[in-house]
Amino acid sequence: MDLIKDIKRNRLKHRQKEPLKKDIFNQISSIVKRYELNKNFLKVLDGVEDYLSNVNLNANRVRVKASMESPLFSLVTKDEYMLTISIIKKIGNSYLKFAYSPEEILLCGPLFRLNPSLTPENLERYHFETLFLHERVKADNKEHDEISNRSIEDT
Amino acid sequence: MKQLLDSNIEIFVESDFIYMPLLFDPEVVQEIQALFQPQRPQAISTPPALNTIIRLSNRYFVKGLEIHSLLDNFKAINAYDYERLRNHYLRKYYLLSEIDDIFIDETLRIILFQVMPYFVRKNRRLERKKLNNEEMLDFISKKINIPLKYHQDAKSFRNLEPLKEILRNLKDQKPITKFFKNGLTTTRKLRDWFNEAIQEKILADEQDRIEKSLQVRQEFSKTKTEHIAVMLYIADTGALEIDGFGFTKSNSYTQEYLVYKRTGEYTLQDYYARSYLFPDCRVAISTYTPFWPFVIEKYKHPFLLRHKPGQEICMKDYRPPEELTAENIINVLEEGLTALRYGYDGRRRNGYHSLDKTWVHIPTIDFEEYRV
Repeated sequence: MDLIKDIKRNRLKHRQKEPLKKDIFNQISSIVKRYELNKNFLKVLDGVEDYLSNVNLNANRVRVKASMESPLFSLVTKDEYMLTISIIKKIGNSYLKFAYSPEEILLCGPLFRLNPSLTPENLERYHFETLFLHERVKADNKEHDEISNRSIEDT
Repeated sequence: MKQLLDSNIEIFVESDFIYMPLLFDPEVVQEIQALFQPQRPQAISTPPALNTIIRLSNRYFVKGLEIHSLLDNFKAINAYDYERLRNHYLRKYYLLSEIDDIFIDETLRIILFQVMPYFVRKNRRLERKKLNNEEMLDFISKKINIPLKYHQDAKSFRNLEPLKEILRNLKDQKPITKFFKNGLTTTRKLRDWFNEAIQEKILADEQDRIEKSLQVRQEFSKTKTEHIAVMLYIADTGALEIDGFGFTKSNSYTQEYLVYKRTGEYTLQDYYARSYLFPDCRVAISTYTPFWPFVIEKYKHPFLLRHKPGQEICMKDYRPPEELTAENIINVLEEGLTALRYGYDGRRRNGYHSLDKTWVHIPTIDFEEYRV
């Protein structure tokens, strides 16, 4: 009886449709194609930390995440392929497949460094700039609390 | 295919095959790497024509379409563009069927040279000179302002050399277009070559027509340029009108015409001798049976059943002719014109409707707006 049940369960499992998993190459190559990115983008990616330290991001600003439907299978030219692979290698974290625009690709690294355990729902829903500002404020507050606690203890 | 021809990318041509730049994704890259491994001898030994992928100084091209199959099937692949190009080239050499047919169209000759002289005012004075065909064409070219384009076209039409050359080439089976060169090229060059090749294909398909056309043109080669311009103008516009007489090509049947004469404004009287001014209309006869006069426009009249276009005129005891001759066309038009202008008798109130309102319960067509 157990064997029959087991076979039935297995068959049912195989019959179920599995959603196609998001492929990081399709996602990034579609952004590269859509925004016509070129090699210069890699230079911007290298200097993103300097850029973020200089630029004054408004904490009250809430960016709307751009909607994007990446194709199931993406084929690109040789240059676009090289650039896509370079971006994937350079960033190399799990947030990248939730980036919907070049700006979000740039913020992938800093955001991951601030909080590597963001949920896929949040990454899918909010713009990376909003998440980054939120995490940065959280980190600043934490730092501030630690300093004040330490000063209380000292006194 | 259209996208390919409209783009401007580099392609590779080998043994009549178009090789397109290879697009990549990680799996394709893996396959390429496996295919072009230095250990694999078949990648090098296979002749280039059989290769699906060709490597050319670190660039990859993938085998696509065969150029000649593209040419042969162009009509099926892109019917709209094929028709457009076909019309363009046929027009370039004046090979459209209407143009040649118009020179040998017997119906048109009857209308132009036998019916028209009856209805138009040919002479200023009271001369009653009968015009021959040449003089009639002279008369038309004086009366109608034929655009300059048709005079230029007429000159080209008389030049038989291009057609003769095409025929000679077709008969000798001499390929006019060279084969497309193998090697690296652009889609823009391919498009230019393709357009030329399509032209040749169209002309080869139309060989019978070219022969017929040449025969007709040789027959009319001594005709005056102005006369050819008139015929080309008629072939293009399909209509002509002089002094209220005219003809227009039938929408329903090709090679058939509607021949008409305008009534001009006229008055009719009702039972009480009140006048009604009727607007102008065109009384016509179709060269396609039945030969019964009708009014082209939306019109109302006691002899027309309703108020709509294309109504036959009510004529009691009228027997339409069975044959299309100049005399019959003239008779039918005159019968129709006479019926509309003089057929209604106010005292008898003949026809479908009465001009004055009668005490009948059935609503009928009203002519109050025409009352003077």
